[in-house]
Amino acid sequence: MTAAPFLALLLSPILAAAGALVLPPRWRAASVLHAGLGLISLLAALRFVALVLDGWTPTWGATVLFRVDALSALLAACVAFVAALAALLGPRLGPDDHYTPAQVRRFRVFSSLFAFTMLVAVTANNVGVMWIAIEATTIASAVIVPLTVTKASVEASWKYILIGSVGIALAFVGTVLGYFDFVTLVGQREYALNWTVLLANAPVLHPPVIQLAFVFILIGYGTKAGLAPMHTWLPDAHSEAPSALSAMMSGVLLAVALYAIVRWKAVVTAAVGHQFPNRLLIGLGLLSLAIAALSLVIQRQYKRLLAYSSIEHTGLMCLGLALGPLGVFASMLHLVNHTLAKSMMFFASGRILDRYGSPEIGRVSGLLRVMPWTGGLFAAGMIALLGLPPFGMFLSKFALVRAGFADGKGWLMAAVLALLAVAFVSLLAHLNRMLYGPAPAGIRRGESGGWAVVPLVACATMLVVLGIAVPAPITELLDRIVEIAGR
Amino acid sequence: MSPELVSQLSVGGSTLVLLAGLAMLWRRGVRAHIGAFTAQSVALAATTAMVGWFTGDWQLWAVAALLLLIKGVGIPILLARMARRFGTERELEPYVNTATSLLVGGLLVLLAYLVTAPLVSVSQLPTRTGMPLAMGLVFVSLFVIISRKKALTQVLGFLMLENAVALLAVLGTHGIPIIVEIGVFLDVALGFIVMQVFVYQIHETFESIDVEQLNRLRE
Repeated sequence: MTAAPFLALLLSPILAAAGALVLPPRWRAASVLHAGLGLISLLAALRFVALVLDGWTPTWGATVLFRVDALSALLAACVAFVAALAALLGPRLGPDDHYTPAQVRRFRVFSSLFAFTMLVAVTANNVGVMWIAIEATTIASAVIVPLTVTKASVEASWKYILIGSVGIALAFVGTVLGYFDFVTLVGQREYALNWTVLLANAPVLHPPVIQLAFVFILIGYGTKAGLAPMHTWLPDAHSEAPSALSAMMSGVLLAVALYAIVRWKAVVTAAVGHQFPNRLLIGLGLLSLAIAALSLVIQRQYKRLLAYSSIEHTGLMCLGLALGPLGVFASMLHLVNHTLAKSMMFFASGRILDRYGSPEIGRVSGLLRVMPWTGGLFAAGMIALLGLPPFGMFLSKFALVRAGFADGKGWLMAAVLALLAVAFVSLLAHLNRMLYGPAPAGIRRGESGGWAVVPLVACATMLVVLGIAVPAPITELLDRIVEIAGR
Repeated sequence: MSPELVSQLSVGGSTLVLLAGLAMLWRRGVRAHIGAFTAQSVALAATTAMVGWFTGDWQLWAVAALLLLIKGVGIPILLARMARRFGTERELEPYVNTATSLLVGGLLVLLAYLVTAPLVSVSQLPTRTGMPLAMGLVFVSLFVIISRKKALTQVLGFLMLENAVALLAVLGTHGIPIIVEIGVFLDVALGFIVMQVFVYQIHETFESIDVEQLNRLRE
């Protein structure tokens, strides 16, 4: 297989970071170059999707360092998509924002590196390299959480880097234990951490060791995925970060951490059967859903609202992974929907924050009259997140619950539906408060930089398409993922 | 070296590494904490070199040298610079007092023996005897991070956690693949540098590095 798509996918963000470092951020050309490189990376990811659908499994590097199967291709496409959006809509593009050139430069450099680390994480074949990349995501993103230094953003960034790094160190304990078991049986091998090799040897691994390894891995990557009770950093970091970074963190970073769990779950399932990992996933998923649903009720800031909603949806995806092949299918479809909806919501909330100058839900009123497009998109995104038709999440939530009933977990699904109802009511109430009512006195009306709305409209359109009928290529991709991850 | 000797040296080295971690619990001063970390890194590098000698694997020698260079010299220098700035901020009132802390530390090491029992029973390597102590340090480091109030102490807890995993890896597997090892070093170094920047930032914004003040973001 040629190296070209790998180079296009992984080198573009590096070039984007280098370009942002040397070019003056005020230059129009610098912005165009930055967005263009994001687009190239996205095209490469879509090329991978096409290759995978044609039956290829592209690999690259010595000892098969990189390998893209259906699961990797889906995640790479999601990551590259949101990264391209962030490059397009990041700081210094909304006319209302207040970032200095130095801040714009810092954002561009580190958000590109952040995208790079996520892309490496989902395309690496070696679980050790995957770990290194996921640890690096914390470092690259934490640097730009306090882009504007305030007490709140400093606090959020500290919690994020400390809890994130400690969590990921525990995932490394799990990785080492997995490797330990392999070495005990087979001896030292350079390629032993390759996912394909681990999976092939999984049936002979020692059950108690691999179970212990999975507990560490689940706690570790679960911390990054925002699963309760390790989620405490998430609402702070997602709400205090610049909105374009929030979109990347919420839209895809959580999915990347979940991806690591899916990979390891396949190994553990092959070693000890699905009952053990499924129980743990159901426990964490349900707890996350419960904590998120109850926290949504009392939120006063809209970005925190979205952050808790991310915990809710990650919990749902985590549950889906434990509900058999149908559940995995639904979970991955939900991941795509969540990526689209949540990144769109954070970009929209960034525009709202710039205009109203306040993160409080109580200070935002008459949104539909002040910013008709942004307000409309915000409402559409919220309705999508609630799981109402005609948006994609209606189908994926429905499929997930149906998978649960089909799997004989009726009581669990009843609890899930009750929690979803709580989340539904509170999100709707908060949305209502923001959309209507009198606009605050003295606020400027009308959209500014209207072209920035176009990509968000595209997101909403894709959500509607996914809500009417899942397109055939996506169904095929998801079917292949189920073959990889779902048993 | 005979396997018996390697086994004893593994336990000896791991004990030193763990003791340095426990020292975090009874010492209060910033400088004492940094000293404990430095000593721990040196003990870890020595243990790694010992395993490298036993297995004749040059990669482990390289890892030991990197450990000594980065964690034994580089990071302690940066830590000492922070100590000059925040040296007066001692752990006067941690969330858990010294006596209780040491008791918890002992219990955590016991727990580590229970947790690692299946590992020790499946492994054939003479170095496996040190694995429970390495796991003990994983738990003790976590306890240091959650029970101490100063940001700098938490950073040290994190660094010790990384040392614990490195020890676990070298004892249990005689070294993870070198490409992964180098990536891990890079991550630790970069992660530490960013944390260090944040500690300065916390000090600038809050005029102290006590994380108890980091309580604005609630609900």
